[in-house]
Amino acid sequence: MKTATDGAPAEGPSAVSPLAEVARFEGRNRLTVTAVLAVLFSAFGALYIWIGPQMIDAGFSEMLDAMPPIVNELFGFESLASIEGLLASEFYTLGWIVGLGGYLAYTAAGTVAGDLGEGRMDTLLAGPVARRSVLLGKFVAVLVPIVVLNVVVPAVLYVMALAAGQSLSIVDLAVVHALSIPYLLFWSAFGLLVGAVVRRGRTAGRLALGIVFLGWLGESVIATTDYKWVGGISPMRYFDPQDVLIHGTFDLVGAVILLVGVAVLLTASHHWFGTRDL
Amino acid sequence: MFETTRFDAERLAPSSVVIGASIAAFGGMMTLIAPGILGDVDLETLFEQLPAAMVEQMGLRHMGTLEGFIAIELYEYVWLLGLGAYLAYLAGGTIAGDVENGRMDTLLVAPVSRARLLGERYLALLTPIVVVNVVTFAGVYGATLLIAESIPLVDLAAVHTLSVPYLLACGAFGMAVSVAAPRRRIAEGVAAGTIIGTFLLEMLVSGTDVSWLGAIAPMRYYDPLGALTESAYDPTGAGILLAVAVVLLVGSAWLFGEVDV
Amino acid sequence: MPALRTDGLTKYYGDVRGVEDLSFDVEGGEVFGFLGPNGAGKTTTIRTLMGFQSPTDGTAMVLDADIRDAEALRTVRADIGYLPAEPSFNENVTGRRLLAYHGALRGDVRSDELLELFDPPLDRKVREYSRGNKQMLAIVLAFMHDPDLLIMDEPTSGLDPLKQEELLAFIRSEQQRGKTFFFSSHILSEVRKVCDRIAIIRDGRLVELEAVESLIDRSGKTVRARLGGEVEAAELALDGVHDVEISGDAASPEPEERRDSAVGPDHATTVSFTYTGAYEPLLERLLEYEILDLSIEEAPLEDVFMRFYGEDPSERVEAVENGARRDATDEDDKNARRRAERSEEADV
Repeated sequence: MKTATDGAPAEGPSAVSPLAEVARFEGRNRLTVTAVLAVLFSAFGALYIWIGPQMIDAGFSEMLDAMPPIVNELFGFESLASIEGLLASEFYTLGWIVGLGGYLAYTAAGTVAGDLGEGRMDTLLAGPVARRSVLLGKFVAVLVPIVVLNVVVPAVLYVMALAAGQSLSIVDLAVVHALSIPYLLFWSAFGLLVGAVVRRGRTAGRLALGIVFLGWLGESVIATTDYKWVGGISPMRYFDPQDVLIHGTFDLVGAVILLVGVAVLLTASHHWFGTRDL
Repeated sequence: MFETTRFDAERLAPSSVVIGASIAAFGGMMTLIAPGILGDVDLETLFEQLPAAMVEQMGLRHMGTLEGFIAIELYEYVWLLGLGAYLAYLAGGTIAGDVENGRMDTLLVAPVSRARLLGERYLALLTPIVVVNVVTFAGVYGATLLIAESIPLVDLAAVHTLSVPYLLACGAFGMAVSVAAPRRRIAEGVAAGTIIGTFLLEMLVSGTDVSWLGAIAPMRYYDPLGALTESAYDPTGAGILLAVAVVLLVGSAWLFGEVDV
Repeated sequence: MPALRTDGLTKYYGDVRGVEDLSFDVEGGEVFGFLGPNGAGKTTTIRTLMGFQSPTDGTAMVLDADIRDAEALRTVRADIGYLPAEPSFNENVTGRRLLAYHGALRGDVRSDELLELFDPPLDRKVREYSRGNKQMLAIVLAFMHDPDLLIMDEPTSGLDPLKQEELLAFIRSEQQRGKTFFFSSHILSEVRKVCDRIAIIRDGRLVELEAVESLIDRSGKTVRARLGGEVEAAELALDGVHDVEISGDAASPEPEERRDSAVGPDHATTVSFTYTGAYEPLLERLLEYEILDLSIEEAPLEDVFMRFYGEDPSERVEAVENGARRDATDEDDKNARRRAERSEEADV
């Protein structure tokens, strides 16, 4: 009797761990969006490199002093006198801190809650897969956009700045992106927790996104008041592109705090997800 | 009549109230803390150093006032960016979402035309628009009563009223994307992403040689800062936004009538 | 004018064929079954008929409305009930609210009566519904405005056997009230129970259109006979005989005896085949043998459909045995060989 498995090892569970399988599957699903985001961020960055000199010449930096401190805090308008200063403000503040942070929280919450809400989780967990593997696999998969964007975007920015004859410190650029990783991981882990608790894909995603938005607004407002310490609960406090790009200093402690936060959030979502009924 | 609008509006109401209350609380808090924050800015000295034309053009003279502060903090970003993108996202999910999960079949069995269905769903977007506007207006106005300074009621009302055409335009854009996009996630992403993108574009190009690029941004036609600080209302801009909304809606209705669901 | 008429109806998705050149009529008051294997184009046809997608070519008239005319189709939809293959509803509302909503859109004249037969938990949110409950809600929605024509995509799927029976009985009683049904299915027993006529499609093309009774008549009888003595397949090669199976008689005495006397009066052979000819020639031929047992039955519907469901339209698939398909063209060869093998085994 000839069978399909003749000569080949039996088709059991693959040798790769379930965690890696989940991560590979989910990560592959993220490739398209990641590519789209990389193109958009690069295009947006190119706009800065192109228009930046005009903004610098137009004397926007003097204008800044006239703005209420809250506005400067909100958008990181510390210096619009250099390309770094420009990038640190709108591009990194809106694009990275709010935009990418919000997207990761939204999508991480949506992937867990969506699977739970629509019964896909049953299919997944019907196999010999631990809930922890599923959760961590999904977390690992969000590294795809995080890593790709943090490699592609600075490279594109640097090359474009060179081509345009602008000076842009490659070290500062690399440091900003390296430090943004703990920050982005934090929001991803936060999204996982929201997804595990809320369980309805779209609601969970929106809630996570709303909280990112609030974290940004809240931290900016509070930073201008006497109650600055309250903003310490916001992750935005621990990642500051202006520090790096304008002042050339960086906050390693902040990065460590964020990573500790990631661990706490992952533990919490694992606990929640592991002990509740599906 | 308007059964679909009612049905959709019911489902949009809870989130509208939550969002409205959150923004009102945020706006109210901003208003309350504004006097303390604004106290130490010496504007007059600064303006003397700047070109007069620039001060005029950017409306800087009122930047340090309560109105200017609220306009920037609340309306420029939460309204133009946050709420605009949210409306586009919401509208983007309507048609594309129903088509994707097969609910559209159940709806289209009824003897209603597709154009009417699209129109009714669009009208339901007025729920978040109206609820959030009313609640936030009340929150901000209420907060001004508690502090020494005040914002002219007419200006505040105008900011909210003029935001309706803006948000309707964002919603209409979302509907158009929703009909054209193959899947819900794409529709939502493109709709919200475009609003965010045009916002950033307008912000970036204003004041530069290429400021004409910002004409495609809906934010060009609604200026909460001007309305609040200078009582400068832009009815033409509102008219343009409404006209664009109508064109987008008619276009989406036509397209929706042609496509396979 | 028929309740539903398709005229060269064709739907391509890009280069992919959905359905091609479908032409058939569904008369008022009949129950018309629309059959085909998975992916044959049943749902494509139905969604095109409902106006959800426009035909690439050809057209169809549904209750006198041309499906290409959105306005006319919209008007007649008041008289059409539709049950989708996989009912999908807003998850976040109760069944009752959905009933009120769709009732307001399409009219509600008999939901109370329907809810006695099909009773989803109306006060729970649709999110909590089982597949069967969703199906029941969809059935109520399909019938609530008392439409004249019902277009149903696999109506019994998701229902338990009891509810399936109730639905089929309900369809029959609605037919008595003059309603027309067009429904797709691949469950033959339900087709046999309620359908007057059926169309079979495969790979998007219509391969058969016939009344259920005549299809079964035409597809012949299953003949099973136990005949005395040794019988060769060739001896039974009458016109209209297909699919001959011959086996040594299991009831024969001890094997040694059989080996010793291969042909003897106490030896018997069981033959079975499908027969589509007239009775007389068959009986005359059988009478040449000693008939120990004989049964002539209607062929099971499964066998009938197997002929249409096969992969290659040019080869009429006759039966499935041991997981391998055999077709009519080399039928006799193979049969002879198999019989030879089998008798060798039996003789060892």
